[in-house]
Amino acid sequence: MAAIRRNILTDETARKNYLQGVKLLKQEQLGPTTTDLSIPGPAVQVSTYDLFVWWHHVAMDTFTPPAQGDRNAAHRGPVFLPWHRFKLILLELQLQRVLNDPEAGLPYWDWAADGQLSVGDQPDSPIWAEDCMGADGSPITTGPFAFDTNDPSSWRVRVAANVQGQLRATNRGLRRAFGQSVDTLPDQNDVAAALDLSDYDTSPWSTESEPSFRNQVEGWRPLQSAPGLHNRVHVWVGGDMLSSSSPNDPVFYLNHCNEDRIWVAWQQQHPDSPYLPDQTASEELRGHRIDDDLLSLLTNPTTPRQMLNPGDFYTYDTLQVF
Amino acid sequence: MKRDELAQAADPEAIVARVTEQAAELPQQDQGHDHGHGSPTESTREVTYRGHHILIRTTYHIEVDGMPIQGHMGVTNDGQVHYHAIPNLSFASAVDLVKQLIDTFPEDFEAATDHHSHGQGS
Repeated sequence: MAAIRRNILTDETARKNYLQGVKLLKQEQLGPTTTDLSIPGPAVQVSTYDLFVWWHHVAMDTFTPPAQGDRNAAHRGPVFLPWHRFKLILLELQLQRVLNDPEAGLPYWDWAADGQLSVGDQPDSPIWAEDCMGADGSPITTGPFAFDTNDPSSWRVRVAANVQGQLRATNRGLRRAFGQSVDTLPDQNDVAAALDLSDYDTSPWSTESEPSFRNQVEGWRPLQSAPGLHNRVHVWVGGDMLSSSSPNDPVFYLNHCNEDRIWVAWQQQHPDSPYLPDQTASEELRGHRIDDDLLSLLTNPTTPRQMLNPGDFYTYDTLQVF
Repeated sequence: MKRDELAQAADPEAIVARVTEQAAELPQQDQGHDHGHGSPTESTREVTYRGHHILIRTTYHIEVDGMPIQGHMGVTNDGQVHYHAIPNLSFASAVDLVKQLIDTFPEDFEAATDHHSHGQGS
């Protein structure tokens, strides 16, 4: 039976399952070490949770095609939405395994609802409460991911990108800095504007694509208000959410789950709008065409086409996205 | 896609096998920083306009306290500058981009400051 993904702020079971599940995955070590993952320094065991961090970083480091420096294997191009849907499904399967609950669903954070709050109230949303995700800080000191130097089982960032864009082993607390680089979260008008776009994507299939539902949801357009939607959430949360190792913060998955919910809503609203580009597109778009393999480091690859209908894996409690 | 097609994705042994296989194919990451010998990052833009092929190569040499910034930096055709290590942002100004790097990776610049001041004193 498919999981039902629910709002983390209104469903206590979904919230508790998620918090417990990611902690179990953070503690689980299947065997690979930093050396196995080509990360310099002494070999350190890498948790199942951190394998997802590594995968995200590598995808971001893989330009598609290598001759250009904009599109990568998971971002800044058409594959942004199906690649992250795939990643979320894989994490959800891991949560179901460690929770021994085949119906456990990832929760989402309806950040556009918090974007309706005043600037001053947004950092005080219930999502940042002690019993949910905790607040900001460097490191954060409240909630389930608070850092405690004396407690080795407290949430620790173990692999993180450095300023040169390289993944490095580390051992520190999680960082957030709300509203430091942008004042506000995206709001419901931003979501409504994206849903109005009828084309999934368009040439040049990059951060300059316009009009493009994908590019607007990812957050590169409209240029005058960028960063928007997905990007804006990363930037507003700040800290570890700013780098290519952003899945270090479990908020990453709440953000992307809401992005995915918006995509499902868009698919329902625009049933005749196909995923683009199709397979007749130029070889220059390899990795982004509908039947190309998605970069997959944890299981066999899938394709954007195979990600278009996730109903066998999950549904959402509501598609009321604004 | 059907759920049974991804059944192996939840099998820990299958994950380890796949990770091992994929990791072996990735290039070894740079073992460290080459302080004082910064390599430039080059961005190439190509556009065809009225039958003419436009090629623009932009090269950045950036240092902070003497430490070169060596990650991939790109410029899109609309003039926005972006940097690999902070993937959700683009900037109209490379200066603003570097300020953001200092805010986002504080320990990397603390090391650079130490290195710079020790070098001056020796």
